[in-house]
Amino acid sequence: MRHFLVMCLFAALASVVFGAMAKDTHHERVLYGLKVFAEFIIIGLALAWVLYFIPW
Amino acid sequence: MVKTERVAANNIESTPGNAWLIGTAAWFIPGIGHALQKRWFRAALLGGAVWLSFFIGLRMGGHMFDLSPSQGSSALLQVPPMIANLGTGALYIVSWLLGTGFADDPVQAARATYEYGNTFLLIAGLLNYLTMLDAFDIAAGRKE
Repeated sequence: MRHFLVMCLFAALASVVFGAMAKDTHHERVLYGLKVFAEFIIIGLALAWVLYFIPW
Repeated sequence: MVKTERVAANNIESTPGNAWLIGTAAWFIPGIGHALQKRWFRAALLGGAVWLSFFIGLRMGGHMFDLSPSQGSSALLQVPPMIANLGTGALYIVSWLLGTGFADDPVQAARATYEYGNTFLLIAGLLNYLTMLDAFDIAAGRKE
């Protein structure tokens, strides 16, 4: 659980910066930040499951 | 050079000198580049993310890289992560002077959050490079 929370924290910090710097309007920035956050989490979980089955 | 290219070349304005100063300040102290331009919310958001990431990384026991070879690896391999760490500007320099966050002992490396800490420290620097470029673009009038 702690690993997941750390990943969420990492995703939140990175997506705040990406979101604040991209796009033109405030609304677009918030949406983009949320999208980046969701992408970090989804890709992170997908990679975790892929790596889980690789025996090293 | 065709006429349209000449017109475009003439329209390119030179970057104002204070943009370089603001860019340098933004690298040195995360968030200050936006604060100098009275973009308080942006300064708090972007600078806050960098500072938070840096201190979380330190708290987790992460370690920063310098040019000294560690555990048999060459100094050259330390350069890319060092560049990332160096992005935090004064935070990196002060930590280096104080010797904080540069320990590479086995006890620290055995901590469960050691690798997470490393990643947070690297990301803090890389995010500050983005923040610095954003502050520079605003100062140069290329961005609202």
